[in-house]
Amino acid sequence: MTFADTHRDTKGANVKSAPSGMALLVLPACLLVLGLLIGPMLLMFRISLNRFSPTQLMIEAFSFENYARAAADPYYQEVILTTLGMALLCTALTLIIAFPAAYWVGRLQSSWKSLVVIATLFPLVVGNVVRSAGWMALFTRDGLINAVLLKVHVISEPLTLMYTPKAVVFGIIAVVLPYMILTIASVIESIPRDLEDAAANLGASALQTFWRVILPLSAPGVAAGSILVFVLCMNTYATAVLLGGPRFKMMAPAIFDQFVRGNNWPMGAALAFMLLALTMSFTIVGSIAFARRYRVR
Amino acid sequence: MISRRHLLSAGAGAATMLVPGVPIARAESSQVVVGTWGGDYGQLLSDLIDKPLLAPKGVEVLQDVANADPRKTKLLAERQSRRGSMDVACLSDTDHYVVATTNVFEAVDAAKIPRLDKVFPELRTDTAIPHIYSALVILYNENQVKTPPTSWADLWDPKWRGRVGLADILYSWNTLAAALANGGGVSNLDPAEQKLMELRSLDAKIYPSNEALAAGLKSEEVWLTAMWLARGFMWKKAGIPLSHVVPKEGAASIVFEASVPRNARNKDGGFAYLDAMLDAKAQIAFADKMGYVPTVSDAVLPEDLAKQVSLSEADRARLLKPDYKYQSERSQRTLDFWNKQFKG
Amino acid sequence: MASLSIDNLTKRFGASLAVDGLNLAVQEGELVALLGPSGCGKTTTLRMVAGFLPPTSGRVLFDSEDVTNLPAHKRATGMVFQSYALFPHMTAAQNVGFGLEMRGVGGAERQAKVEEALKLVRLSHLAGRLPRELSGGQQQRVALARALVINPKLFLLDEPLSNLDAKLRAEVRIEIRALQQRLGLTTLLVTHDREEALTMADRLVVMEGGRVRQVGSPRELYDEPQDAFVADFVGRCNILLGRRENEIQFRTAGGLVLTVDIAPNESKNANAFALRPERISIRPGAEGDLHGPLQAVTYLGPQTEYHVRVGDEVFVVVQQTPGADEPLASVRPQDQVSLRWDRKAPRLVPQTS
Repeated sequence: MTFADTHRDTKGANVKSAPSGMALLVLPACLLVLGLLIGPMLLMFRISLNRFSPTQLMIEAFSFENYARAAADPYYQEVILTTLGMALLCTALTLIIAFPAAYWVGRLQSSWKSLVVIATLFPLVVGNVVRSAGWMALFTRDGLINAVLLKVHVISEPLTLMYTPKAVVFGIIAVVLPYMILTIASVIESIPRDLEDAAANLGASALQTFWRVILPLSAPGVAAGSILVFVLCMNTYATAVLLGGPRFKMMAPAIFDQFVRGNNWPMGAALAFMLLALTMSFTIVGSIAFARRYRVR
Repeated sequence: MISRRHLLSAGAGAATMLVPGVPIARAESSQVVVGTWGGDYGQLLSDLIDKPLLAPKGVEVLQDVANADPRKTKLLAERQSRRGSMDVACLSDTDHYVVATTNVFEAVDAAKIPRLDKVFPELRTDTAIPHIYSALVILYNENQVKTPPTSWADLWDPKWRGRVGLADILYSWNTLAAALANGGGVSNLDPAEQKLMELRSLDAKIYPSNEALAAGLKSEEVWLTAMWLARGFMWKKAGIPLSHVVPKEGAASIVFEASVPRNARNKDGGFAYLDAMLDAKAQIAFADKMGYVPTVSDAVLPEDLAKQVSLSEADRARLLKPDYKYQSERSQRTLDFWNKQFKG
Repeated sequence: MASLSIDNLTKRFGASLAVDGLNLAVQEGELVALLGPSGCGKTTTLRMVAGFLPPTSGRVLFDSEDVTNLPAHKRATGMVFQSYALFPHMTAAQNVGFGLEMRGVGGAERQAKVEEALKLVRLSHLAGRLPRELSGGQQQRVALARALVINPKLFLLDEPLSNLDAKLRAEVRIEIRALQQRLGLTTLLVTHDREEALTMADRLVVMEGGRVRQVGSPRELYDEPQDAFVADFVGRCNILLGRRENEIQFRTAGGLVLTVDIAPNESKNANAFALRPERISIRPGAEGDLHGPLQAVTYLGPQTEYHVRVGDEVFVVVQQTPGADEPLASVRPQDQVSLRWDRKAPRLVPQTS
């Protein structure tokens, strides 16, 4: 909106001439996206229309039967529902957990701030696999949590924590939390503190200030963070495999199964495209609904 | 992270598939490119074969490291092209079979590979040398399981409810074990399906990887499993209280093989490499480090090592060679049943 | 409206003392300005009165009610922020209605009050605009309406004019003062702009380093500053340091002897000679005791400013711009000029009190 204003207010021809030169600046990024994202995706889409053969990998074909078969299979229906459910649940929980932290980070004035931001980012420095391995060390029967609980006699038998959906939820949230916190914090930072004082001055309690001022104004950050996190959750692989165990099925591991174990590339590609379509439609519908609610412009 | 890496490498495979014959620059024929697994196996190849056996002959070995599936795909994708990217392809016997059906590999014979004569006859194939092998056995916790099992069917004993753990990645072998427990065999996996559902109701634990299964065995969360004897050997060395038994129905074999693709640039080098892989000293070292059994008759293991990693004469007789054709044609059904019914 | 009493108010941030034992009483309907350079504690004081900051010690009373421990949202003060702090996602009308909504004033009553408040600031036609669709002056009026619509006990203005351009500032100053007097608002104004303070306030509080330097009417502070800091801060002033030689003479550090006519007991410890530039008259030519070369002439339209060196001291003189035919109109730098003033005009004050 800032740009729109500038353009509306500024008169003269130099405004028009700027973008043509500017367009070159995005060229490398565009080429990269085109080459490394769009290209392989088109290739995948083509593969998804082929037919599987155990001996030749695939037979050239042009049919949507892989999509039809996956959509009709109760197994994949369940995988899709689990994936969606996990993604929505984890996004919601992450948002609830992240917001207070994001508020704190966004409002932090001291010289520790950059240190706090780095600390927030720290989990991202550790790879998914390593991090999940850490969670495994906590969750297994002789892991830290059970060891502590047994030691202090809270439980007499080790709890089963590994390979449960709960473990996956914890694991995913730990992975995506920094994205949500930092996205929201950067928006909170841009909300003048005066607005909170003004709200209090006008009689709003802390809770009313949150609902009426902070939340609506951080809506762009909440939306961006939620979309980012939702997409990450939908595509969870390592966490689902390592913490959820072999019985817990989300889309990304199911796709991996088809590609690598089943050697069934056409089916794997079809599943991948279904996941993509699902993620995109939820993201788009969600953003539109959100924009309407909070007038994000 | 894992998924992305795999998808990327798979994508690269797809690209080469659509653009056959992309020339890959390579300088000299004194170089041999070996397509192999990384990790322990790749390191041992380098330490026991590349450096001591081939380097003195002036042969430089380059490892093309990847998991089996991308390499398999690469071989299939390159099969039309005149010059391939590997001179030696290491694959398990099952994978080798799938790729070999498309006529990708050179035939092996004693003229090119002098040491082929020493290979046990039952391990020979037309297009590959067997490098090392092992067998699928029952591993059990010797502290918890006082009466050693004798049959695959013993894993279904209700008293071991919840104590049987299986590795997810060995699904086809677990399926074979279930078939054997129910009167099936390498060429008849159908009886496995009923048995797997029984095991499911007996609360069998499934672990995503061999390492996770090892952790489960170590923590005594589970007491019994179907596993390669070689792995059992390494786990015992790591201090897990395990014993192994070859069930009366027989142990299924897995052979790690190596072949020379037809479109290899340096076939002579490739065959020289295959010959070196059959070196007795190197094979004994592999047995000592990884627990896999030599495939040549003149590689005699020290007695205590032999006891731990190799099969007795009687057990060798009951070694079950997979029915590759049947297995590959049934692969989708086996995987689907495992995922959708057994685990679902 | 209520009266405000500030009783020995102190605020400490770590080792530094932002406000140091401040006492102040603001009568009902009175406008008191806190004036001082940045960091003098004026904004900290205002924030403690509004309840945004807890004092380290001391009390704040509205009428006789001690509100020191009352949270900001229960104090019912109406504040206009320097940044206006309008809620960017709400229209002008919604901004104005926010305080009423928080007080549970609903429906038609709220709407009527909002309309009335917007009418008061002449913005009824822009009720539906978002803040970013309003000019700075319009935003400021929305902020005024928003603070006033809740019938606050106290009206708080934090540098309310500093974001307006000079021309608008003069207009709004008068407008706010008129509104404040018409509605009888008990008002605390924080500013660093002496002109703003002098034109708007009933009384001024000059602050420095967390302490009050002087309290008084604008005229008192301008004409009878108690120390050199106040003299300098409320208006331009020639301040020459030195010491009193005898009843009628003051010797500056630069060795200049100036004649004064002030009772000695009026200015114990007085070591500064203070004289407003407009109280000096200037003539061409070297006459009398005080003359020297003109260093600079600055034309300011109705007034002209002269810098004159006498001995080692430099005097700033501000005079009505002379007509083109007057001799003074033709003086140039380096010309000799002479200065003179009414003996009663200078003040002898301590440098610090």
